[in-house]
Amino acid sequence: MATPEITVPPLSPKELTEQEKGLKDIGSDYAERFGFHDPETGYAYKAPKGLSEQVVRDISEYKAEPEWMREFRLKALEHFQQRPTPKWGGNLGQIDFDNIHYFVRASEKNSVSWDDVPEDIKNTFDRLGIPEAERKFLSGVGAQYESEVVYHQVNEKLEAQGVIFTDMDTALREHEDLVREYWATVIPPNDNKLAALNSAVWSGGSFVYVPAGVKVEMPLQAYFRINTENMGQFERTLIIAEEGSDVHYVEGCTAPVYSTDSLHSAVVEIIAKPGAHVRYTTVQNWSHNVYNLVTKRAVAQEGATMEWVDCNLGSKLTMKYPSIYLLGERAHGEILSIAFAGAGQHQDAGGKIIHGAPKTTSSIFAKSISKDGGRGTYRGLLEVAKGATESKSKVVCDALLLDEASRSDTYPTIRIDENDANVGHEASVSKIGEEQLFYLQSHGLDEEEASKMIVNGFIEPITKELPMEYAVEMNRLIELQMEGSIG
Amino acid sequence: MTTDTREREIDSMATEVTVCRLDELPPGEMRLVEVEGRKIGVFHAEDGELYAIEDRCSHDDGPLAEGEFDAAACTVECPRHGSLFDLRSGRPKTLPAFQPVETFDARVEDGEVKLEA
Repeated sequence: MATPEITVPPLSPKELTEQEKGLKDIGSDYAERFGFHDPETGYAYKAPKGLSEQVVRDISEYKAEPEWMREFRLKALEHFQQRPTPKWGGNLGQIDFDNIHYFVRASEKNSVSWDDVPEDIKNTFDRLGIPEAERKFLSGVGAQYESEVVYHQVNEKLEAQGVIFTDMDTALREHEDLVREYWATVIPPNDNKLAALNSAVWSGGSFVYVPAGVKVEMPLQAYFRINTENMGQFERTLIIAEEGSDVHYVEGCTAPVYSTDSLHSAVVEIIAKPGAHVRYTTVQNWSHNVYNLVTKRAVAQEGATMEWVDCNLGSKLTMKYPSIYLLGERAHGEILSIAFAGAGQHQDAGGKIIHGAPKTTSSIFAKSISKDGGRGTYRGLLEVAKGATESKSKVVCDALLLDEASRSDTYPTIRIDENDANVGHEASVSKIGEEQLFYLQSHGLDEEEASKMIVNGFIEPITKELPMEYAVEMNRLIELQMEGSIG
Repeated sequence: MTTDTREREIDSMATEVTVCRLDELPPGEMRLVEVEGRKIGVFHAEDGELYAIEDRCSHDDGPLAEGEFDAAACTVECPRHGSLFDLRSGRPKTLPAFQPVETFDARVEDGEVKLEA
């Protein structure tokens, strides 16, 4: 694209805001910032490649699990083996399920002090900025490295209030009754093939329990890191927010750059009891050799609010549609989804909301950006079931294409079984226009800066919902993705 | 029309059919029957009771009764997406289904399993 010949004086420098300072500090590319890997010396256990009943039994035995969990895993394995690989969404046919390590234990223990975490692993998390973030603005942190959580800590005041924030393996040992009561009630093992796989080989993830009326002021964060090549990470997260409680959970994910593929397939279940408020934020930045196939589902009971903020930047293929079942009167659900698809990437993302009770309200805002031949797909479901009278919902999905080679598809499904539902749907696909670029360039920005500004404006409704630190990180990541994209 | 009157009307229209002899439906077994175009699963639980539910998952209308029957827990699992239904109430114990399925009266008379549907 030719730069129009026009000369304007540069804008005078001005005081930068905190957020802009963050944006200015664009370091290196993904390979340097996140794409490094550690040696595997000192690993406690690495299962041979491939999936079999023996591997599942070994994982369960290695974790010394109760019998019901072992039976749950084995039954799920049967479901996984019986179900065909989905033909819709992205191309899953390329995944070689026999070429994956299903369980890798890097460290013998889960530490409560960073000083006790093996040095290589600690250095990795230092490099990713996790301990620093923990000191500054988090109520609790879990750090998962390969299959298991290596560090977990929660603010003492919250513990005193009865908040449980621990890794799922520990939760199963220390709070077995609580785990068993809610386990797989939101996502049963036979829900879909990937949920069945996760149920068979799950390891790690977070367990969060917030007692009635307790407000967790600062976010709880989990950070997921894959290090090994051809690794499968299958964490399992369960969040129970009792009546009138409030919690914000944030997760981030990265992996080294390898030439062969890894698989990340999580299951996340959330129960928001009457009047509770749960927000779950994801900033997914897997390397471009990771298949990211995740099932996330929440139940919102009477008067509860559930929000998914789902940012998908990395991975080779992501298939993820966080869903909310509004099952109590006046429950409210919101899904904010953003997907960024660059060269070789397919982001098949979106959300599902099911109105199952009267006077429930919801909104889905989905944005996708495709460039360099990347493919962004919005796939969504909005359902107003029989009996969900006086429900209201709004779905907005916008796509931005940065070049001719990229692709955007929208697959919205709306099912309404009540007469008085109020449902709105808007969709748009736009290209970065030469006029917009010309306007900004006439104000002294070069073409790349102008494009970044247009993209940042496009995603702003989502980033403004993120805590400041994550908004900055998100913008940095977008800037990184945008570098060199024009010209 | 109130729910009560609707239920009475349905009751008055109910058809009684013979499913099979009781010894043909031992505990732990299920038998699928069709009554006036509707498929119904009749289950013999370990507690000795008979339970009957419509053969239609409330999640996506797929067949339900031939899913895995846990005769001790008195549940059936939808073979399509794994929702677990309580046979006593017809209510789902897990998502993705959240609405109950219809239940029917089943009983033993003169050594035969009778179903009212």
